[in-house]
Amino acid sequence: MSKPHRLSTGGRFIDRTKRIHFSFDGKQLTGFAGDTVASAVHANGQRVFGRSFKYHRPRGVIGLGSEEMNALVGVGDGVRHEPNLRATQVELHEGLIAVSQNRWPSLKFDVGAINSHVSRFIPGGFYYKTFMWPQALWKHVYEPIIRRAAGLGKAPEGRDPDTYENIHVHCDVLVIGAGVAGLAAAEAAAATGAKVIIADENPRFGGLADISGGTIEGQALPDWASVKASMLADAGNVHVLNRTTVVGHWHHNFVMLFERVADHDPALLAAGVPRHRLWKVRAGQVILATGSIERPIAFANNDRPGVMLASAARGMVERYGVSPGSSGIVFTNNDDAYQTAIVLKDAGVGVRVVDSRSRAEGALPNKAREMGIAVDTGSVISAVNTSWGGLNITDVKVASYRKGQGRVIKEAKVACDFVAMSGGWNPALHLWCHNGGKIRFDDTLQTFRPDRHADAIRAVGAANGTFVLSNILEEAYAAGSAAAKAVKPEATSIAVSVPTAVQADEKPLEPIWFAPATGKYNEGNKHFIDYQNDVTAADLELAQREGYESVEHTKRYTTFGMATDQGKTSNLNGLGILSEATGKTIPEIGVTTFRPPYTPFSFGSVAGPLTKNLFLPIRRTAIYQWHLDQGAVWEPVGQWRRAYTYPKAGEDKHASIDREILCVRNKVGLLDASTLGKIEIKGPDAAEFLDRMYTNMFSTLKVGKCRYGLMMNELGFLSDDGVTVRLGDDHFLMHTTSGGADRIAAWLEEWLQTEWTHYRVFVTPVTEQWSQFAIAGPRARDVLAKLEPSFDISHEALPHMSFVEGKLGPYPIRLFRISFSGELSYEVATPSNFGLGLWKDILAAGAEFGLEAYGTEALHVLRAEKGYIVVGDETDGTTTPVDVGLDGLVSKKKADFIGKRSLEQSYLKGPDRKQLVGLLTEDPNDVLPDGAYAVRHVKDKPPMEMIGQVTSSYKSPTLGRSIAMALIQNGRSRMGETLSFPLPGGKVIRAKITDTVFYDKEGAKLNV
Amino acid sequence: MLIVKCPVCGAEGDETDFHAGGQAHVRRPATSDPSSVTDEEQRDYLFIRHNPKGLHFERWRCDRGCGKWFHAARDTVTMEFKAYYGITELPPADLIAQAKGPWAEYFANRLKAETKV
Amino acid sequence: MSELSYTSPLAGAAAPAGLSVSLREIPDRGMIDLRGLATDADFMAAVKSVLGVDLPTEPRTSVSWGDIKVLWLSIDQWLILSTRTKMHELLASLRGALLGIHSLAVDVSDMRVVIRIEGEGSREILMKGTSLDLLSGEYTPGTCRRMRFAEIAALLHVVEGEIFDIYVFRSYANYAWDFLLATAREPAKITLFGQQPAPV
Repeated sequence: MSKPHRLSTGGRFIDRTKRIHFSFDGKQLTGFAGDTVASAVHANGQRVFGRSFKYHRPRGVIGLGSEEMNALVGVGDGVRHEPNLRATQVELHEGLIAVSQNRWPSLKFDVGAINSHVSRFIPGGFYYKTFMWPQALWKHVYEPIIRRAAGLGKAPEGRDPDTYENIHVHCDVLVIGAGVAGLAAAEAAAATGAKVIIADENPRFGGLADISGGTIEGQALPDWASVKASMLADAGNVHVLNRTTVVGHWHHNFVMLFERVADHDPALLAAGVPRHRLWKVRAGQVILATGSIERPIAFANNDRPGVMLASAARGMVERYGVSPGSSGIVFTNNDDAYQTAIVLKDAGVGVRVVDSRSRAEGALPNKAREMGIAVDTGSVISAVNTSWGGLNITDVKVASYRKGQGRVIKEAKVACDFVAMSGGWNPALHLWCHNGGKIRFDDTLQTFRPDRHADAIRAVGAANGTFVLSNILEEAYAAGSAAAKAVKPEATSIAVSVPTAVQADEKPLEPIWFAPATGKYNEGNKHFIDYQNDVTAADLELAQREGYESVEHTKRYTTFGMATDQGKTSNLNGLGILSEATGKTIPEIGVTTFRPPYTPFSFGSVAGPLTKNLFLPIRRTAIYQWHLDQGAVWEPVGQWRRAYTYPKAGEDKHASIDREILCVRNKVGLLDASTLGKIEIKGPDAAEFLDRMYTNMFSTLKVGKCRYGLMMNELGFLSDDGVTVRLGDDHFLMHTTSGGADRIAAWLEEWLQTEWTHYRVFVTPVTEQWSQFAIAGPRARDVLAKLEPSFDISHEALPHMSFVEGKLGPYPIRLFRISFSGELSYEVATPSNFGLGLWKDILAAGAEFGLEAYGTEALHVLRAEKGYIVVGDETDGTTTPVDVGLDGLVSKKKADFIGKRSLEQSYLKGPDRKQLVGLLTEDPNDVLPDGAYAVRHVKDKPPMEMIGQVTSSYKSPTLGRSIAMALIQNGRSRMGETLSFPLPGGKVIRAKITDTVFYDKEGAKLNV
Repeated sequence: MLIVKCPVCGAEGDETDFHAGGQAHVRRPATSDPSSVTDEEQRDYLFIRHNPKGLHFERWRCDRGCGKWFHAARDTVTMEFKAYYGITELPPADLIAQAKGPWAEYFANRLKAETKV
Repeated sequence: MSELSYTSPLAGAAAPAGLSVSLREIPDRGMIDLRGLATDADFMAAVKSVLGVDLPTEPRTSVSWGDIKVLWLSIDQWLILSTRTKMHELLASLRGALLGIHSLAVDVSDMRVVIRIEGEGSREILMKGTSLDLLSGEYTPGTCRRMRFAEIAALLHVVEGEIFDIYVFRSYANYAWDFLLATAREPAKITLFGQQPAPV
């Protein structure tokens, strides 16, 4: 038998003057400009494109466009390699490199094909049944084997060199699909002046117009489509998008469009054009003109390379001038596929029609007969025979058939090398269904059609089950104007008259869900339903017999309709099989859910530009560059980057942290604390409002004084803490944790707006207005004095927890005498654009006192030495102020504040609450790991009863030993007890429960 | 992705420009009389929420707009917003009339209580 | 003691060649965040006595008076723009005039970075970061609106037809700047709803 080849004439899409060089599996081949990889490889005489998922059977091209599920190829080299592209959609360009997938070691000989010979042992649900247990084998044995055997393409490794984009666009009417119906609807909508976007996944608009026959206003369909496409492209209120697949539809007409901007032209990529662009479109109205997808027929060995959809065979000849073979059979249950027979005959390719209907008397069958094409009605293909390995079709068997017949009795051999099949057409309903659209079964068409939808979306043309050309036009023009009017009722509509169309009349199809064969279900006799997932009619029937009655269960059990294909060609055939197996009608069986995306789209387009430095917003303080220049090690705090420590030459992190801590304890240190949340709160009811928000009292705070406050949520759990200063009678400045700044500002607003709406209070977050630094250590006042303060800084004038506003030299500042280190400490705030200048001045002024910058780790050790808690370290979202020993800060006087009532709930007052305690390890050199568990009794292996966990743990250079804090059941009544902390690896650290304050218990250092 | 419209400033936008604040009309018992809140009342306030199929009443905040909280009535099946109303207000009467199950009960009690006062 | 040293959030950043629009930081804008009740006649009158112009109460609009601009932020919040030197004087006068009136006026000049994007195609570039429909008739000169921009919060002010100021919290200055550099590249330029090559 001969192979597919380029015909000497024809091919509307190709330019025979432009020869294109490309490679497929390393073989250098040529094609023409306008070819796809599928057509060009076929033209070179090859039709095997890959191996199937489970059985590793050789597979070829089945479809014409995005419905292709077999011929998946990897395209591009190295980091630009992209797997799993449909060969029918990949446009050929000079130098293109394509490879087949899922075969080893080669396409012609595949080791995995042994699966095909043992397939009676690999029924539906095989993986579930076989690899069920033991659980441990999954990770190391089963899964790697399955993955290797059943993989799709290989993901590229290395950094993607290309750019990708997202864009948000709004339009009045979005038309999805630019076939005849879409073009007509877009024209009508655009005529009203509405903003219209029309998108189509193909390079050219027109859909299947070029292979559908007929005329509009005397013009051949493709010519009419070209005129309309040009008109829309010129219109100022229309955006046309080709090579753009609408991948999903969500609530309120949010629609995602995937545009392949530069894949088809390496020159564009080289120029820096984004490779893909993801359009996030919000449409007033959506018109679904997605056309229809031809159904395969389930006959024995319907997956052999050379078996394809009738539309694909027709398209191959008409678009690319490629013959699918030298002689073929058109196997159909409808009139439409006769067009394929006619096109093949015209191209000089041998053809014969096998029609399952008892009569074929429509215009097209009659024309075919007139052309001398043999037509066998009441017949089916009952077998496909191939050369060894299933690579080439040698002949098919044709048997007579009556509807409902189960088995073939007599069959005759007919020589051929390809089969073009058509089981009818299914409206492409995927997008209709993504967002809950309802569908209904149409008995005449034997397929599902759109029914109801909650969103403003309407389907036209073949997508709506309308297949007669004149009806399509009428429906599409009406839908276009109606959609535009619905968005813009005031628009003056320019009436577009519906053009007249002429097309051959077609007689109705007769469904055939299963073409009988002679043998049993075994090798040599597989009726494939879902090619991509290797699901056969027998698998579906087996699932039924095993009790998978719900179609959704059958889907998961057999994998039918899953993965990238989402049941484009398989869905209805599968339901047909289930219908015959159960005796239920198709609507009774129901449908499985189509999920986005319609076809796979790139991760690059999802990420858009948000990669590398834009992957995550990084927040910088005004001192960021200085920290960077010092070689700071960073600590992420929310989105902030804070300096963790500043190692000097020759120092490791531990050494630099110790140095920074001792510098604060013995001399003076400088910390960038700008990330602390700052909120101005002002109004006649501000004090009362703060009393509601904090656990402790703020209405008694004197002007110019600071107070540490605790905040709970309504559950009674700690949520934030910080120092608030009273700036005036009705005016406060609140500090929050760095991570809590936005959250707490929103929290305050929420209570003001929703609960205490009569309070007259304004809340304005000002976190980033201020750069704020802590100058901490015994020499802090000396440093301050050098900075030329405009105010008295003596202990008497400015005691601990006081506040002053003034100047340091030329810098306007706010100064808070507060401490998170236990040392004499000032926090100084200046407007952020002065931050860097003041920071450098402080460093210069402090040099003679030994001042050095310290980072967040030193900060944490310093506060832990003092037993100060960090919300988020000592608390975990289920910790109350009482648990951490701060009951003193929970007001008994205030009638109500956030969280108060919950603290009274019995479960927060129970006897075994975990309480915060200090820990000193028996060996002072042992540093407990953060989160280590204390157990009641140490055993050889878990489980052991846990009685608490370490919340903070450090090596304290001040004390020359390790310290830790922990939440321990009834901890405060266990002072002096020694607890055991078993670590992974068997070591057990023992530590004694102590008070949480390890340094300067009396607080003498704060009051100097 | 829903489109939400703020009744306070009229800004309309993606739901990502707004903040969904959970069920509407949850009363905080401690606000009126903190001393008499029973454990059951506090439990209901903290944890008990409606989850209706159909008409539902929610709180939203115009997060990237005017910053104000508001109420919305939404159909949880069709995702259609039926009405927006002020954060201290009750829904329009026609929607109260359409409310079912626990919502119908809630509005009946609420209206009864308000008539008494 | 040294001189007062001033460093704006994007000091030193320069837009590279190859962009389809012009991008620059406006490094020295004075800004006051003003809170008050538009329904409070005393408040409105006091503010007008200082600014010389009524606060805008129509959502998302702004007013100009000499070198002062006032942007509507919420029904009880405005952003007053002026030169940095004038800002201090304005703030003091405002606080004086508002004594005893429920209000809050805060200097926020250093809280945000201001990035100006100018040129044909600016709207399309911004639409790569925001879901607002900048091509609708709504975004006329003077319009201001808070928005989600890429992954951060921003305030958009339409200065003129193709001139936009974007206000972003200063800690995100580099993020916003880098996002604009990435999306404003000449090869990534896109024209929406204009004449296009016919897909035939």
